[in-house]
Amino acid sequence: MVGGSTPLVLAGCEERLSAVHPAGPAADIIATLWWVMLGGAAAIFLLVVVLLALAFRRDEGPSGETADKRRETVWIKGLGLGFTMTVLAALTAWGLLIGERLLPRPGPDIVTVEAEGRQWAWRFSYPDQPGRVTEDVLHIPAGRPVDVRITSTDVIHSFWVPRLAGKLDAIPGHVNVLRLEAWEPGEYAGVSAEFSGAGYRSHGFTVIAHDAAAWDAFLAEELP
Amino acid sequence: MTDILRISVPITVWIAAFSAVYGLEGVICSDLWRGAGLSLGQGRGALVATWVAAIALQVALLVALRSRRFASPHPWVQRLATILGCVALVATVWSLMPVATTSLCL
Amino acid sequence: MTEKKRMTALRLHKALYPIWRNDPGWKGVLTTVNNNTIGNMFILGATGMFLAGGILAMLIRAQLASPRSAFMGPEIYNQIFTMHGTIMMFLFAIPFFEALTVFLLPGMLGTRDLAFPRLSSYGFWCYMIGSTIMIVALVAGVAPDGGWFMYPPLSSSAYSSGINTDIWLLGISFIEISAIGAAVEVVVTVLRYRAVGMSLDKLPIFAWYMLVVAVMILTAFPPMILGSLILELERAFDMPFFQAEHGGDSLLWQHLFWLFGHPEVYIIFLPAAGVISMVLPVMARTTLLGYGWVVAAAISLAVLSFGLWVHHMFTTGIPHMGLAFFSAVSTLVAVPTGVQIFAWIGTLWKGRPEMHLPMLWILGFFVTFVMGGLTGVMVAMVPFDWQAHDSYFVVAHLHYVLIGGYVFPMIAGIYYWMPVLTGRKRFFRMGETAFWLVMVGFHGTFLLLHWAGLLGMRRRIDTVEAGSGWESINLLASISGFVLAIGFGLVILDVAVNAFVAVRGPRNPWKAGTLEWATPIPGPSYNVASIPVISSRYPLHDNPDLPVQIARGEGFLAWPDRNRRETLAVSISRGEPEFISVFPKNTIVPFVMAVVTSVMFMAPVFKWYWLMFIAAAGVTVLALVWAWANGSRRDEGLLDAGRGVSLPPHTEVAYKPGWWGSLFLLLADSVLFGSLLFGYAFLWTVAPNWPPPRILQPGILGPVLALAGVALASSGIRLGDRAIREDGAPWRGLLASLAGLAALGAAAATVFAGTTYNAHAYDATLWVIAGYVIFHAGLAGLMVLFLLCRIGTGYVSARRFGDARVVRLWIDYAVLTAALGLGAAWLPGVLP
Repeated sequence: MVGGSTPLVLAGCEERLSAVHPAGPAADIIATLWWVMLGGAAAIFLLVVVLLALAFRRDEGPSGETADKRRETVWIKGLGLGFTMTVLAALTAWGLLIGERLLPRPGPDIVTVEAEGRQWAWRFSYPDQPGRVTEDVLHIPAGRPVDVRITSTDVIHSFWVPRLAGKLDAIPGHVNVLRLEAWEPGEYAGVSAEFSGAGYRSHGFTVIAHDAAAWDAFLAEELP
Repeated sequence: MTDILRISVPITVWIAAFSAVYGLEGVICSDLWRGAGLSLGQGRGALVATWVAAIALQVALLVALRSRRFASPHPWVQRLATILGCVALVATVWSLMPVATTSLCL
Repeated sequence: MTEKKRMTALRLHKALYPIWRNDPGWKGVLTTVNNNTIGNMFILGATGMFLAGGILAMLIRAQLASPRSAFMGPEIYNQIFTMHGTIMMFLFAIPFFEALTVFLLPGMLGTRDLAFPRLSSYGFWCYMIGSTIMIVALVAGVAPDGGWFMYPPLSSSAYSSGINTDIWLLGISFIEISAIGAAVEVVVTVLRYRAVGMSLDKLPIFAWYMLVVAVMILTAFPPMILGSLILELERAFDMPFFQAEHGGDSLLWQHLFWLFGHPEVYIIFLPAAGVISMVLPVMARTTLLGYGWVVAAAISLAVLSFGLWVHHMFTTGIPHMGLAFFSAVSTLVAVPTGVQIFAWIGTLWKGRPEMHLPMLWILGFFVTFVMGGLTGVMVAMVPFDWQAHDSYFVVAHLHYVLIGGYVFPMIAGIYYWMPVLTGRKRFFRMGETAFWLVMVGFHGTFLLLHWAGLLGMRRRIDTVEAGSGWESINLLASISGFVLAIGFGLVILDVAVNAFVAVRGPRNPWKAGTLEWATPIPGPSYNVASIPVISSRYPLHDNPDLPVQIARGEGFLAWPDRNRRETLAVSISRGEPEFISVFPKNTIVPFVMAVVTSVMFMAPVFKWYWLMFIAAAGVTVLALVWAWANGSRRDEGLLDAGRGVSLPPHTEVAYKPGWWGSLFLLLADSVLFGSLLFGYAFLWTVAPNWPPPRILQPGILGPVLALAGVALASSGIRLGDRAIREDGAPWRGLLASLAGLAALGAAAATVFAGTTYNAHAYDATLWVIAGYVIFHAGLAGLMVLFLLCRIGTGYVSARRFGDARVVRLWIDYAVLTAALGLGAAWLPGVLP
């Protein structure tokens, strides 16, 4: 069960590290945010390009102080202040709302696991099963919220399973808690996402999400 | 130099207030706050109070800058100072809004 | 111009030229203090660094072209990408706009040189020597390899034991001297050295931008310099600022670094925005729409940019409310950016845009920078950043912003000001081809890399793995990257060929309205033959005759009867003439001082501390020589400044240029001190393993010494200052002040006695605070001794007391920081 397969040769699937192919609620919310922002950004970009293009097509407008005052109202107060502030206020509020939803709030049914990064491996342990340790493979139950308590013993690393959630740094002397959840049982690739020296590229791990029965079996397994 | 101060003070006060609130949030979420026997609820109160005080200060600065006593003799500088005073006020409201809307120490 | 008028102009030129010209031959290169010459050399140096950084970029793209193309191991690759970032940020982007500013600013303001010509030279040589050291380190294979933001503990001695990291920390700090120096100069120049009548609302918009940028440099660089200093102290003496087990915290570095690093992005963008605000209206045959709004936007952007450093730290586990503050500011900062963008588009609508080459690059800027800005707003969203952070999404975003938002406008600026820079107009037409190569190459390289990042490609990995799903994107990026490189190569070639071979052009070919176009091209060493009087933002539009009037000496300070380099200082708000500033002659001192300073910075890399102290003594002596050369031993009274106005020389005003320079240098210093106190408070609240095992007890001696020091030092200099102005005997006051400074130093030394420097981050921090106090007390003490010598040799009189005011400023600063620093050090010991 405690397999040592390195994640980087695992699964030929090209989306195994993709943040836009979510396999859990946190990654899903963020992917939605991305697609909406992409649409909005494309629209704004188009607006700017059209305004730029039109500047070259028209005749010179009226000149003088009143005309400039009018232009200031349209371009600076209208577009510069009004338009940008409206869009940004809405986006900021939405972003913070999403951020709030992704926080590791206390609740029933939450499983806690511990992740400890070092150059260049990960060591996982399970408070539900004291003494159980896995290297480079993290076991979690599927369909249940999991809190990963992340730290490091040497330099800064970052715990990132793109299909399940965003990343969170492993910092010596600190413990950071990341909430993630896998919808379905399966294997999910994870990597360290903070540069850590010569072995950085292959500093990865695998998350195995079990169905309820397999999770119970994992916890019940005898310690080696 | 006075004109430079008219232009720069409100927005500098914003960055000071912003840093102060961020620092206060750091203290509230640290062991020091708990060690002093204070609760997170009191922490939230302190943050909101500081936010309101910072807004009040910006309003006061804006009023002062438009008063006859402190206004610049140059209309252009006066207008610039007013715009930047408004920027500082908006920045204070906008950037510190999370003290009232997001969860604390999570 | 009639023949008679032409003769007058020629005679004036012949009178001014021998006074302002450089020394002949190679010696002139080393001794020049002229802004045109230094600006030219600076532009060449920075362009060379752009080429070096570009070559590294090509190596990176070759390595990442396909899973099979990797030819470097991680040890080399890590050096390459670290140096690519370091060179582009520190050795190209900042120096290049500084170079352009050194060159253009005096002309735009209608003055003769920057405020502190020797500082221009010193800054330039520090930059050249420092850059050379970095390049030598790269070639020697000992270049830094921890990424351009050097996070500890990876950059701590335990995980990076070689000299690579030391070279980065000390080399970059050394180079930053030139940035700080240039910033002090620019601030004082824009505030005090302008054409008469150029009130704040009539400044050329570029000068406003550069004023804002210079103040940003003064307030953004110090945290990073402090960070480098304490990381180097940790590496050299094991003072555990960043070691969690001894109460340090690696997050402190991230705060200090990004406290610099984010404003840095706007420090780079704003000069480019300044260029656009100058060039775009001329290209559209009109004037800038909403000048006041644009100034307000630039100032807002500058200050807001100090409230978003944590958005580089969204994944470090800071509580969500803390992140929310910075997310909110990160979106808010897009508002002044939007105001500028729409003001520029509005300007195009207002005028009649013409498609010259500078305009083409500005359009390239719009397309590219707007995309970069939009992805910037995306990563300002905390949850999205949790995914995008440290991936190629961020790499792509930052290249859109930096290349699109900085390099493209700078190229527009170079083509626009080419007549001013080289005296020639463009003849060869490679520029258009180069533009399209760059555009196609750039978007081909970076557009799809956003997507690779979302597919999980992390920045700084040393190969693209087969089966990762991002191989084809990388192959396209590498091919396009080479197209981009060819494009940039062509731009440089085009500019070079035109600079050397093209025909002489007419003055002011674009029909611009600002003063840099009022001089003959290329500009003479004295820039303007007389200081003009202006009454609008576009003086050449109101008065097409102005260049002739300037050349004929109809402005201020035309005929150099006093046979020295003189220029006019004006009042800050209104631009009214205030005094005559006498500029230094050509001198080798700045160059020698830069060389000795480089020894001071590089000796610790090899742990040759004895050499460092010798070099520091050398720098001190040279600084005294420098300061001594300025001044007069007789009262001159009011002097004729032309146009019937009489003004005092700068030696006879209370607050001379040196005082203003000191004031802004101390602004930077105070930010460094503030960062130190921030670090102290940060460690206390956030770092693990606090409180420290042993807390310093202040006792009686230290506080008594400190109080006596504060009282004596600040009252002594005031007594001395008054005695000087009343022709009395200043000795007693100045000696009392000296004794007070000694007492402050002794008080700080008691902190050393009560702590062990490497026991805990607390002890280490207290040592730095005490060291800071001693350093400033010592510096102020040295200045008092200098002042005493100046009094003894007749440089000071009841009219000439400016030196005393400068010393008073430094003493007040030393006293204030000693009181705050020692108070902070002793506070925990007296709390219950």
